[in-house]
Amino acid sequence: MTVPATQRRTRPGQLPGPGAPSRIAALRNWSAFDRRFFRLAAVPAFLAVFVITAVPLVIGLGLSFSSVTSTHNGVFPLTFANYQHLWDDSEVHTVLINTVIYVVLAVGLETLLGLGLALLMTRKNRAISVFRVIFLLPLTVAGIAAAISWGALLNTSQGWVDYFLKLAHLPQPNWLASATTAMPSVVLVDLWSGVPVVAVIVLAALLSAPKDPIEAALVDGAGPWARFRYVTFPAIRPALVLAALLRTVAAFQQFALFQVLTGGGPGLNTTVLNFYVYQQTIVFNNIGYGAALAMLLLVVMAVPLLVLFVFSRRR
Amino acid sequence: MTIQAQTRPARPARPAPRRGLRMAGRISGSTLTFVLLIIAAIFVLLPLFWLLSTAFKTPNAAFALPPKWVSKPTTSNFSTLLTGQFGKSILNSLIVAVASTAVALLLGVPAGYSFARSPVRGGKIINSWFILAYVAPPAIFIIPLYIIYQHLGLLDTYPGLVLAYETGLLPFTVWLMRVYFADVPKELDEAAWIDGCSKMRALWRVVLPTVWPGITTVGLLVGLASWGEYFGAAILTGQRTQTAPVAVYSYVGTVTSNWSELAAAGLIVVVPALLATIAVQRGFVSGLTFGAVKQ
Repeated sequence: MTVPATQRRTRPGQLPGPGAPSRIAALRNWSAFDRRFFRLAAVPAFLAVFVITAVPLVIGLGLSFSSVTSTHNGVFPLTFANYQHLWDDSEVHTVLINTVIYVVLAVGLETLLGLGLALLMTRKNRAISVFRVIFLLPLTVAGIAAAISWGALLNTSQGWVDYFLKLAHLPQPNWLASATTAMPSVVLVDLWSGVPVVAVIVLAALLSAPKDPIEAALVDGAGPWARFRYVTFPAIRPALVLAALLRTVAAFQQFALFQVLTGGGPGLNTTVLNFYVYQQTIVFNNIGYGAALAMLLLVVMAVPLLVLFVFSRRR
Repeated sequence: MTIQAQTRPARPARPAPRRGLRMAGRISGSTLTFVLLIIAAIFVLLPLFWLLSTAFKTPNAAFALPPKWVSKPTTSNFSTLLTGQFGKSILNSLIVAVASTAVALLLGVPAGYSFARSPVRGGKIINSWFILAYVAPPAIFIIPLYIIYQHLGLLDTYPGLVLAYETGLLPFTVWLMRVYFADVPKELDEAAWIDGCSKMRALWRVVLPTVWPGITTVGLLVGLASWGEYFGAAILTGQRTQTAPVAVYSYVGTVTSNWSELAAAGLIVVVPALLATIAVQRGFVSGLTFGAVKQ
């Protein structure tokens, strides 16, 4: 390679270490000008992200210590009252329990059923490829469209679901309006969009996994369970954890389903934290208190994500 | 191929009874597979079928029980929607989707290239920040933005909504573009430089064409996300810039007696997204997983 001498400079003190050959090569080949070019290319996006995320975050944090309420318009005096309030309020406890129930049920079932669905679709033939396309469909459907459609299907007097149950002489629950079935119903609708997401991701991992180990295990006389447990599962585990992560994020952010299907009711039965934050800030205009709840949401959400993250790192 | 087949040593035949047993197991196994897949498919298709069939029914037929499977299809729901306020909200959704995609790509593609090619000091921190921005619930950003916008007069404006969407979409774009650029061998850029291309020209003429499929994938995923977004739009838009998903919800509230129009509105939101997804197909999974799983 005929590289000009000016481009051959290496940063002083930077020794080519193992694991970073491309880094070193890059530094060697690039002049100061090139580095400036790359820096310039990254700066606008970096600044934009920083401004539009850090500024609201800081303001949100500030508001959570403010005394803005529906009746009091000033930020001052600064106070811990909002946090004190959410700590004491039994409504918040109910909302937190609802959130945990919703996230655990939705993510758990989606991960399990999605894994099962993916395993059913591994064999390749024409019929299976039709199913693969069908299960891709929910991924494209906007949450609001899924919500209105399921809302109509689960409607108590006029929905198709109750009609079919009636034909089959099965009990017709008051899906979205009864305290016992409202939350399971929302979870069911969440499964509709979530299970295919997990299935599609896990299937992609299954299909790209090397075939040799499975054949070797087969030759060694491993049964179906042993093959799954010791060969297939380790190969798809990263994809499965990633899918679970994505669904956890989605579950905490879920909004359209709650607003359209139940509006958080009956009572507080389906009010989860994200929806409660919206209600307090936008509907009831309790800005300061809502901001404190938003911080609580951030903290609550970090816990399962960190657990999953650690889980994905452990070998 | 034929040579290979000829030279392949003959496989030792398996004992006959065992093979018979395995065949039987396989047949019942595949029947069970099909039964389960069909049940799952019915579950998945049911709401889509409801949307599709109800959208073409008259308001009365929409409520008929038993459901009218075959009724004279009507397009009156669509004409009512498109000539009314809903037509405007579709346009709004389109404007917002195109603008968010354009901003995300214009800023995100060069940044993705830079991140993939050049070691940035503090790169790990930037990465974590981007993940946080993408993963954090929109409420964290959008509710303070709502307050800020009240003071800046950005409520119910296109730039306000687009800016709010970029909190998640821009990190997503940079992250995913970085993955796509990292797949392009560095030697390609270097060859172009040696041949006398400037950095800009090498990016434009050599590297960009190579990652073009990645760019279209990211563009469509970003467009799709902003097209169907509901939470932010519900809070930050009003009369003027109301997007289609928010308009759909307003139908739930006001015309509860008119399921056929509601379904038509829902269908209008679903179909463009469906077409866009068919267009990107293969990139979809890698996009979903931040490029971690490739199809």
